[in-house]
Order: sequence, then C-alpha cells, then structure tokens
Amino acid sequence: MSLTNAPHFETERLILRGPEMRDVEAFIVFSADKTRSEGFGYIPQRDEAWRWFALNIGHWHIHGYGYLTIEDKETGNPAGICGIWNPEGWPEPEIGWVVYEGFEGKGVAYEAAIAVRAWVYAELNFTTLTSNIVPANTRSIALAERLGATFEREYENVQMGLDHLYRHPAPEALL
Amino acid sequence: MSDFAPLGELFASERSIYIGGPIDRQKLWYWVAGEVGSWSLQGFSSWGIETHDGAFVGQVGVNKPNHFPEVELGYLIMPEFGGQGIAFEAAEAARAWAFETLKIETLVSYIDPKNACSVALGQRLGCVIDPDRSLPDGETTDETVVYRHRRAA
Repeated sequence: MSLTNAPHFETERLILRGPEMRDVEAFIVFSADKTRSEGFGYIPQRDEAWRWFALNIGHWHIHGYGYLTIEDKETGNPAGICGIWNPEGWPEPEIGWVVYEGFEGKGVAYEAAIAVRAWVYAELNFTTLTSNIVPANTRSIALAERLGATFEREYENVQMGLDHLYRHPAPEALL
Repeated sequence: MSDFAPLGELFASERSIYIGGPIDRQKLWYWVAGEVGSWSLQGFSSWGIETHDGAFVGQVGVNKPNHFPEVELGYLIMPEFGGQGIAFEAAEAARAWAFETLKIETLVSYIDPKNACSVALGQRLGCVIDPDRSLPDGETTDETVVYRHRRAA
C-alpha cells in the first residue's frame, strides 16, 4: 500500500518515490547520528524520529508534497531523502535534502534535488523555491550554490534558530 | 486543517499540561501532521470531534506511537465544551470501532493521576487500573497510570 500520493520518478542512478514503512529504520539511524543530522534536525530518541517519519506522511496529505525517499537503484536501499517542506512557521516552501551514510560524496543529493526541483516547477506550478540552511552546514551551502541558488537573507527559523535563506533560479531561468 | 487554530489556542495554554503541552504552534503542526500520517502508516490515529452543527470540540484517537507499549485510547475536549459528556460519547464510539473494525483485543488509556476529569472518565468507561503493565518510554508512575479497556463479553 502506498502511504502517500507522492510521484515516482527515476534519474540515472536513483529512484525518487514516496516514503514507505521499509524506509523508517534508515531514517531513525540517520536522525540519531548527530554529525550527519545536525543541519537537518538531530533526533536522538527513536520515538521522536518515528514521529517525524509519520508527520512527513501527514505533510504529504496536508500539502500534496513532502520529502521523497531517495532509493539507490543499484542496492535498492534508501540513500537519503529529498523533497519540499513547508510546516507551520516556515517562511515559504523549501527544497531540502539529506544523504545517508555510505552514499555521501557521490552527487546523490545533487541528482535528487535537480529532479525534485524540476518536478515541483513542472507539476506543482511553483514559481520560486528556497532552501533554508544553517550557516555551519557548508556542504549543503555548496550544493545549493551548485544548484544555482543564491543567498538572500538571514532570519530566525522557528526550529533551527539562525538560518540562511537561499533562493533557487526561477523555472524560466532553468529552461 | 480547520482544527489547527482551536488546538493551537488550547496547546498554548496551561490547560494542556495533561495532554503533553504547552507546546508552540510549530511543534503542534508537527504533531497534527503526525496524526494525519499515522492514518496511512498504521490504519488508525486521531479523529477530530465535531458537533452536528460543525463546531470543533476536541479529538479522540486510537494511537500507538513508537514509544507506547500498547495501543492507547486517548481524548481531549476543548475547555468550553467540557462537562457535557462529549468525551464519554466519543471515547465509547472510538473504542467500539477499535474492537470491532481493527479487531484489537485490548486497549489502554495512559492517564495522569492528577488529571481528575480523565480519571473519572476512565472509570465511567469501565476501565480498571492495570498496575503491572509497562508505561510509555520515559514516563514514571507519578505521571502515568495504565487504565485497561476490556472488550465487552
């Protein structure tokens, strides 16, 4: 059974699809790994990470978008998540990404983010897109810049504290 | 999502101390989204309770987040609708649904012993204290008592 109305699309090395029960454990492990999850939201307790997994599914039902699972075609394992996030208190919808242990340094997040951004511009008719990145997360900032996003402003995020807002090129700029 | 505004007021106030509050709007949104997601993930979760004329009066739910050892029947009523037997009516209906549709054998309610209204409602629903059962992770007997619902014979 599919848990969400999420789309399913493929890139060269990846499958982007809705979250499913079999993805829970990889997310819980990632969330408890402070060095990897700090810029996204470090969640040491299993039950809290499980709740985040459930609320992402709810986010899909409420907004019609949320985080997709990035599945590695070669192994079939979850390699991370990438999607659109817009909970209460967010400045505007953002595209975010996270790559799990063992899949870093291979351009997975870049490949996923290009595909997700193209999907929201084409199918959800977004006219703009942001990424909120904590200033210390230099790897994520480098990826945002590689995606063509530029720093717009500093602000106080309700969850993450001091945060930097990057804005992606508009749909017409990517054609 | 029209339930969100009244829930936001309740959870911002001290009246939410026995239901996990007070919590801010952002955290509450995560909470509500988690309940929405749980319907897909588990096939059960929380309902909004409305009167027949459409007023939002509270929530009742059958829930088992990861840190609960068993499936719980829970309820909350907006303060202005308290004392009308709404929680009893909703909890009975939710319990019957859990037993008949989900075929769940037994349910618990985790109640703070200081929450006199909820203790009284648990008793009115025919629950009995089950002292040997484990509590949700991280909770102590000072704050949580396990009341057990039995399927009617």
